[in-house]
Amino acid sequence: MQAQIKQRLEQIVNNIGQLPSMPDVAGRVVTMVGDPDVAFNKVSEEISKDQAITTNVLKLCNSAYFSRGKEISSIERAAVTLGLKEVKDIVVVAATKSLLDKEIIGYDLAKGELWKHGLAVAVLAKNIANLKNYKDIADIAFTGGIIHDVGKTVLALYVQSAFKEIVETVEQKQITFQLAEKEIMGFDHQEIGEKILQKWSFPHILRDIVRYHHEPENAPEESKLIVSIVHIANTICLMGGIGIGSDGLYHQLSDEAIKAVGMKDAELENIYANLPDVIDQVSAIQ
Amino acid sequence: MHTLINVGVAQISVADNPAVLRTILGSCIGICIYDKVKKTGGLAHILLPTGSGNNQKPEKYADTAIPLLLEKLDKAGCKRENMSAKITGGASMFKFNSSVSLAQIGERNIEMTIKQLEDAHIPIMVAEVGGSTGRVIDFYLEDGRLKVRSGGKEKVFYKV
Ligand SMILES: [Fe+2]
Ligand SMILES: [Fe+2]
Repeated sequence: MQAQIKQRLEQIVNNIGQLPSMPDVAGRVVTMVGDPDVAFNKVSEEISKDQAITTNVLKLCNSAYFSRGKEISSIERAAVTLGLKEVKDIVVVAATKSLLDKEIIGYDLAKGELWKHGLAVAVLAKNIANLKNYKDIADIAFTGGIIHDVGKTVLALYVQSAFKEIVETVEQKQITFQLAEKEIMGFDHQEIGEKILQKWSFPHILRDIVRYHHEPENAPEESKLIVSIVHIANTICLMGGIGIGSDGLYHQLSDEAIKAVGMKDAELENIYANLPDVIDQVSAIQ
Repeated sequence: MHTLINVGVAQISVADNPAVLRTILGSCIGICIYDKVKKTGGLAHILLPTGSGNNQKPEKYADTAIPLLLEKLDKAGCKRENMSAKITGGASMFKFNSSVSLAQIGERNIEMTIKQLEDAHIPIMVAEVGGSTGRVIDFYLEDGRLKVRSGGKEKVFYKV
């Protein structure tokens, strides 16, 4: 059966038509906003072409989490009031919801749990970036947080049938769940996620977050910091039970990530202690 | 139908038969206390063993949440001599550097929870704690049984 799963996944990653799709606007906006010289009106024009996204983006702009008080009724207004980086994060929230807000069998996540997990990791990663004065990448930490586990949406079915072998491998070899995924199925959810982001034409830095969030020590030097921030946020959310599934805490808390971000022991504990605030922030995103 | 009540992180909930109290645990502990005569019970979902004292939410910490849970059960008309406890959670990351104190929180939560319950003379019938698995628990107030789902498996504990 292992050989079958490997073969099947091989086919999926080599035929992007079988990977989940994303409204084109998301990839375009994420790339545009990554360019510091992009013009405001170019971004708002791009968003406004997609009516469905526009409606959802405006709704989110006025949610308690993103709102700055004044009613926002157009994308142009949103770009001016919230800034392009925030608008880009809102576009990603709006565009990925239908894909991520569903039951993820295999990982034993009930409907909504993977979505809330992504939002919690996003909010917390952004908080950590701000806390440690990496304010210029806080928005990327947020985007990365939302989508870091996107590979689970594809892998779930296969994890379900190979679950017993994965767990046995974890126990016998004393390796993390994600390493066991790779050993049994040929791919782990990080690699599948990276392929999905390639299909969506998401920029390199986001692909690195998805690809290395459980192994930040292996991330390329230029993205190590941002990957480490999302890694820490993910670990703390899982410890708090937010989006914890059948893979449990069979993961690592990377020492290298803690050093890369410069987190002190007391800061880590404090962030964990304040998880209820993160949960409140997540409920303010609707 | 049993009413399902979701208990969130750092929350305490008390209810009567036939409600079901549910929570999801990583390193946190779910403390379920049941009065077998009155068929009333409560669940506290704690994050940490002790607080720093500066008017933090008492529901977050084992050393303040457990007395608070007992107080709420007293107010609901429960009798201490009819109460017993089941505790679950307290998982740890599978791999970590032992110098990181955050990674030790599961263990410290278990210790403090047991100490608090012993100090209050509430017998612990089940301690399904530790390891690296996440746990989804359902606490049935019709008979005090506890269903623990973890790593794709399900166990039910009946002792009250
Ligand atoms: Fe992951
Ligand atoms: Fe995750």
